[in-house]
Amino acid sequence: MELFFNSIGFGLVTASILALAAVGLTLQFGMTNYVNFAYGDFMTLGAYLTWTLNVRLGWPFWPALLVGALLMAIPVLLISRFVLEPFAKRSGPTFHILIVTFAVSLILSNLILAIWGGDFQNFNVGEDAPVNIGPFLLSIQQLGIIGLAAVCMVAIHLLLTRTKLGKAMRAISDDKNLAAVTGIPTQRVTTIVWVLSGMLAGLAGGVLALNVSSFDPNVGVTFLFVIFAAVVFGGIGRPYGAMVGALVIGLVVEVSAVFIPSAYKLDVAFLVLVGVLLVRPDGIMSLLARG
Amino acid sequence: MPHDLNYYLATLAVYFLIYCVLTLGLNITFGMAGIFDFSYITFMAIGAYFAGVAVLPPSNVPGLQWILGLNLGFPIDLLIGALAAGVFGLLIGLVAIRRIRSDYLAMVLVAVWTITWSVTSTTIGLFNGQQGLIGVPQPFEAQLGVNPNDYVFVFIPIAAAALAILFAVAYCVERSPFGRALRATREDQDVAAAFGKRTVRLRLTAMVIGCVYAGVAGALTIEFLSAMSPNAWAIIETVIIFSALIVGGRGNVFGAVLGALLVRILIIEGTGLLPTLPDHPELIGATRNILIGLLVIVVLYFRPQGVIPERRRRYFESRKPAADPSSEVTKGG
Amino acid sequence: MAEPLLSVTDVVHAYGGVQAVNGCTFEVPEGVICGLIGPNGAGKTTLVDVVAGALHLQRGSVRYAGADVGGWPPDRLARAGLIRTFQLSREFRQLTVLENLLVAATGRIDESLVGALFRRRQIAVAERALVKEARGLLEIFGLDALRNDPAETLSGGQKRLLELARAVMAHPRLLLLDEPMAGINPALMGLLEAHIRRLNSEGITFLMVEHNLGVVDRMCEPVVVMAEGKALAVGSMADHRASDAVVTAYLGRGRPA
Repeated sequence: MELFFNSIGFGLVTASILALAAVGLTLQFGMTNYVNFAYGDFMTLGAYLTWTLNVRLGWPFWPALLVGALLMAIPVLLISRFVLEPFAKRSGPTFHILIVTFAVSLILSNLILAIWGGDFQNFNVGEDAPVNIGPFLLSIQQLGIIGLAAVCMVAIHLLLTRTKLGKAMRAISDDKNLAAVTGIPTQRVTTIVWVLSGMLAGLAGGVLALNVSSFDPNVGVTFLFVIFAAVVFGGIGRPYGAMVGALVIGLVVEVSAVFIPSAYKLDVAFLVLVGVLLVRPDGIMSLLARG
Repeated sequence: MPHDLNYYLATLAVYFLIYCVLTLGLNITFGMAGIFDFSYITFMAIGAYFAGVAVLPPSNVPGLQWILGLNLGFPIDLLIGALAAGVFGLLIGLVAIRRIRSDYLAMVLVAVWTITWSVTSTTIGLFNGQQGLIGVPQPFEAQLGVNPNDYVFVFIPIAAAALAILFAVAYCVERSPFGRALRATREDQDVAAAFGKRTVRLRLTAMVIGCVYAGVAGALTIEFLSAMSPNAWAIIETVIIFSALIVGGRGNVFGAVLGALLVRILIIEGTGLLPTLPDHPELIGATRNILIGLLVIVVLYFRPQGVIPERRRRYFESRKPAADPSSEVTKGG
Repeated sequence: MAEPLLSVTDVVHAYGGVQAVNGCTFEVPEGVICGLIGPNGAGKTTLVDVVAGALHLQRGSVRYAGADVGGWPPDRLARAGLIRTFQLSREFRQLTVLENLLVAATGRIDESLVGALFRRRQIAVAERALVKEARGLLEIFGLDALRNDPAETLSGGQKRLLELARAVMAHPRLLLLDEPMAGINPALMGLLEAHIRRLNSEGITFLMVEHNLGVVDRMCEPVVVMAEGKALAVGSMADHRASDAVVTAYLGRGRPA
């Protein structure tokens, strides 16, 4: 039973990492209508930026993480503005953009390899004490991850519901043409969402790397399909769906480790992904949404 | 020394022949049917691994483990590898190839690669884990008793024969009503269905054909190199095969062959000749991959059809004298 | 009395809380050019999508050619001779004009992988016949000179003609046209009308969704009026003009959709 509660605790941690990543990915999809296959590498880049601040410059982890995520704005802006959006604007076969994101993934992952090398790295975080919170046994760092994700989810919620930007985002996500016609500056909002998505990816990458303790340039890519599972579960383009998806997938993945060898626990996410696509491609949330 | 040069060129020739098989297969799956098989390299690995465990005897070295170990000869092991890749592709296709959007399909296929890769890397008993299969006997090695340095010259006709068959098949597909139905499905799946095409079945067939091609390429690779490990099939390998096809020209067999030449031989081998920096051994490879990625983006932006575009076929028409406007030579692009 | 070629009974299709088709019932006898008109939002295109198998038949029944076809996927309906065109021309863009027609000839040539490899000679024979037929059609529609051009290079009007030619190449028994005259200049409109009449005289039954009431007036009999997801009335245009219910449906029902 203790094992079970522990796994739920871990599930919350995984869900937190997933939530940050999945919400970022799904918000960007809502604006642009294509999946960014380089997203895993965005996460990896965030992790390495954090690492540079933390290990090379000696900053404590959490400030390094936040600043690293902010710094993500630069590469994301460049990539979305000069590489991705020029393709998205063209009429013609839409499949080009998926390959372009795949090519961006190739370029980004190799840039990271060239700059930081392929060896496994760790953060400078000192001792990490386990803490008993109710029935759960989690470390301080893991609590930090959960806390960060919770704060971000609340912030996203407020952004979507209380700000003009948020309303514009929801409008564009619903119907881009209609939103443009009613005077919403779709281009500017899309750019802002790209940056937001990049920063969330940076946060997610940093905490993912923290949670696995040793990471290399592949850390984001191997997690990518789990993020896909969370995004698809909740319905692509739906941020609240992504949050629910992250929670469900995170818990399922960790609890499954009680029953199967933990090397395969992420693979469970694949089963969920496939299951959802077979049964309800619009995502589970579409059952709950209007009509 | 001339022998070293011959050896090097012969090895290049083998790599080229095998890569053509890869691009020809992807050309059917992606070039003609429009399926983003982002897991493509996985099927090369399946073909390689199953061919390997078909030709290897059961492991008798402690620390090395693999399944099967059937100790069969060539070309049976190649056929087993191709069959395994095809079956694997069929199983995945049955689940994934449905009326779902292409980006969902791409996501599922990325997941397929990820999981296959992680399972084969961590499960030692399957295909010897991270170390991979080694010591795979080469075709006719024992019978011919050839000096290992000269073996490559034996392998060239083997690879060439396999490619010749697969090229002929791809060429027939390209010119056939089946190929035309694939292309229509690629252009607009709903409209193709509205005209009676069984689009799910067509796409599934195209995917499985591509997987078989990849399986053959994998089997040839492991037969030639005697080894296959997870390092050889990272996800970027799929991107590079896509790049080769896009640069060379998709939707036609000649573009696939040209792409193999340009990307696999010119770019990859070319950059391989650059001197390595001792402190940063990964820099050459990283630079090469960045170049390939940039090349794909540039090609997709300025000339998406590639160097050799999909041929605009004329049906049953003889070349009439230039005065007849309906016989204008096809413009490129 | 022969069973009508198409009968739609109490068909319902709703999505996202909108009852687009809300119990629609009418029949299309064989051999007619049947019009389907109604104000915006009446559910006409949704109904066509349901009949063509592109949308799920949620309630009610659809009978075609003597069979209950509710739940049949579009490809099965097409192979049974039920062909539809689309509101916005949807040609196979990178295929040539000729190939667009060849693709439509499902069931008349071997499109299997096995055939591609081992029955090349038989396929060549069948293909020669199909090409001859297709070029004849293209000739009639004035597109033969463009036969080897990619379909995406055609002008808007030419794409309309291609859409119709391709549909005819499929040897339909029932042809569903979704607003064939939308955005068409008068000269081309006359040409399309002539083609439709000719094809009808050669045995093709038409169900045409149309907003242009002049066209419907000239060509269609009977005419089904849809409003709010139901078939309001079936009859001739003269009857409809005289009917208060129809006139109100078009003019006075709250905000025009």
